Amino acid sequence: MRELELYFGPQHLGMVGNFSITLKVEGDRIREAAANPGYLHRGFEKLMEYRTWIQNFPLVCRINVVEPDHMELVYAMAVEKLTGIEVPERAQYIRSIFLELSRVASHLFGLWAYANMLGFDTVAQWAMYHRDLVLDLFEELTGGRVYHIFIWPGGVRRDFPEGFQERIVNTLHSIGGCVPDYDHTFFNNRLFSKRAKGIGKVTREEAMEMGATGQVLRAAGMKYDIRKVEPYAAYHQVPWEVPTRKAGDAYSRIRVVRDEMIESVHMIFKLLDKMPEGKVYNRAPNPFKWKVPAGEAYVRCESSRGELGLYLVSDSGDKPYRAHFRTPSYPHGLVLLEKILRGASLADVGNIMISLYVTPPEIDR
Amino acid sequence: MKIRQRIAEELSDAFPGLQTETPGEGRLLVLAGKDSVIAVLGYLKRRGYNHLALISCVDWMEEGEFELVYILSAYPRGEGGAAAREELSILVKTRISRKRPDAATAIPVFANAEPLEREIHELFGIVFAGHPRLTPLFLEREYPIPPFRKDFDTRQYVKDFFDKIPEVQQE
Amino acid sequence: MGHKYSLHAVYFCTGCGIIEIPPALTARWDAERFGIIPAAAPRQANLFLITGYVSLKTLKPIIRTYEQMGEPKFTVAFGSCPINGGMYWDSYNTVKHLDRYLPIDGWIAGCMPRPEAIFTAITHLWGMIDRGEADGYRRYRRYYRQYRANQERVLGRLDWPPLRGED
Repeated sequence: MRELELYFGPQHLGMVGNFSITLKVEGDRIREAAANPGYLHRGFEKLMEYRTWIQNFPLVCRINVVEPDHMELVYAMAVEKLTGIEVPERAQYIRSIFLELSRVASHLFGLWAYANMLGFDTVAQWAMYHRDLVLDLFEELTGGRVYHIFIWPGGVRRDFPEGFQERIVNTLHSIGGCVPDYDHTFFNNRLFSKRAKGIGKVTREEAMEMGATGQVLRAAGMKYDIRKVEPYAAYHQVPWEVPTRKAGDAYSRIRVVRDEMIESVHMIFKLLDKMPEGKVYNRAPNPFKWKVPAGEAYVRCESSRGELGLYLVSDSGDKPYRAHFRTPSYPHGLVLLEKILRGASLADVGNIMISLYVTPPEIDR
Repeated sequence: MKIRQRIAEELSDAFPGLQTETPGEGRLLVLAGKDSVIAVLGYLKRRGYNHLALISCVDWMEEGEFELVYILSAYPRGEGGAAAREELSILVKTRISRKRPDAATAIPVFANAEPLEREIHELFGIVFAGHPRLTPLFLEREYPIPPFRKDFDTRQYVKDFFDKIPEVQQE
Repeated sequence: MGHKYSLHAVYFCTGCGIIEIPPALTARWDAERFGIIPAAAPRQANLFLITGYVSLKTLKPIIRTYEQMGEPKFTVAFGSCPINGGMYWDSYNTVKHLDRYLPIDGWIAGCMPRPEAIFTAITHLWGMIDRGEADGYRRYRRYYRQYRANQERVLGRLDWPPLRGED
């Protein structure tokens, strides 16, 4: 049979984000795949070197558009590590609640993308609707639906408004009340399991070899979560579990996403119960004259896609000297995708790519 | 604390003359020479630090050197679970000259170094000997010097190139 | 005039702004009330929403997608970045003024604009279509030489032949 070169290109209904894969196809089987990133490259890290420490805050959250809050968190944590600013207790709790809400919103977006690609439009509409309810909470707290600029070194920018806790609880109850519907329609659906079981299988050894983190590892049976391994914010203050599965295929990854969402919701309730009173930020120095002492820091956190890290170097100036983000989609989209697409069917490319949770803006930065 | 000291001692025994520092909690800094850095990475991987998180590059233009930083951490053994052991990230650094920027590839040790080195080659101009695919990853155009170097002024480039594109004149 | 009430948007996630398009298209904000549904291929679409910044590598598929769409076709630039560079005004890899490379019928400012802003823009576009002002596709044919010259300045020689003469 003849070999054809196809572009699973940027304009495609099965592609979320601006990414391209060059496929060499023989009949229906893929012989070779080459990832083609760079459609969203802005030279982020170079731009950060031209802006002062405080001017970088609005810039940093735009690296990953689906889930901007973890980027703010690693930047704030790295600057706190370099300068030694302490974060008050209440701010750590607010940060954790905020980040878990962001994780729920990001997973609902991922569910929309996956269900949309498979053709399950009903569940896609539900997921996007529920995500919008969470974005309403963000809008009340920070003023923006998508980009929040809420976490900064020394704490968070403002405290919860009056009655906000009840609104969080009500919103999460209304989303949580629909989980049986989601289960009945999508997660326990025979069509979904036929479409996703056995597709895109990644064993634990392969995942470790390729540098994968996040759901890819957890669906292959390894309990690895930076929130447990190197706890930050208030995650060590409440008991919670890391959900895992054994099979390592697309079905397990989406089930892990569902379990993580439910675990996040329970975690938010526990954190709200335990949150202390107090102030929410320690004053940062005058932003016009802020010079961070020389040094370097590597901090990491668990974003909804995997391990997110930042390597920040300062030379005691008023701008960063070098900032380099270690984003979780980088090994998934560039190394793992090429390996597991070999031998897969052409109809499953979108399936595999979205179940690996590849977000192209993170790869290109 | 103890694991950090133990690894630092083992490294000094295996590679005489190697410098180590302990900058903060949970971090170990290893300063390797250009020729021994791949061997150090292989040693650490066999010792259990099998997750290459990042390869970064810092341009110290005044000193005339590039600094390559390899950040390693350890996946848990078996199925993971409660962290009973001390968590450590190891930063292995090496310096290469800015005038002749060549380095050896880390792909034999870590398979996921391939796109990281390709990106550094494209953005800084460092040539990794032995890399199978040093083609452009992100960029579409050729730039006069690799764009992440400190002597490439991106604002001047925008002024010289993008702002000079004329508007469409409509009669 | 009838086509203004069924603008089918081509499904191409070009940049950051893609995060506010799914909410606009799904149940809560429901763009289908305005006649907007996503179209899978550019041959079946007549609205191109360029959502967010355009990097140099993305400009090529955008031009090819635009040229494949059937006429009359309308482009709406979504976000502050196509207007004057936006947040990435000093980046070496993004296009600063998109209307030097492609004809734009309307802009929506914001970072991100809300879904309501999309609907306001669509109603403005209806008014423009009625008055005959939404003629980006005609301008593209008329001044194609200048557009193509600008495209080739940033992308180098383009490997597809230029369009036929003007309308």
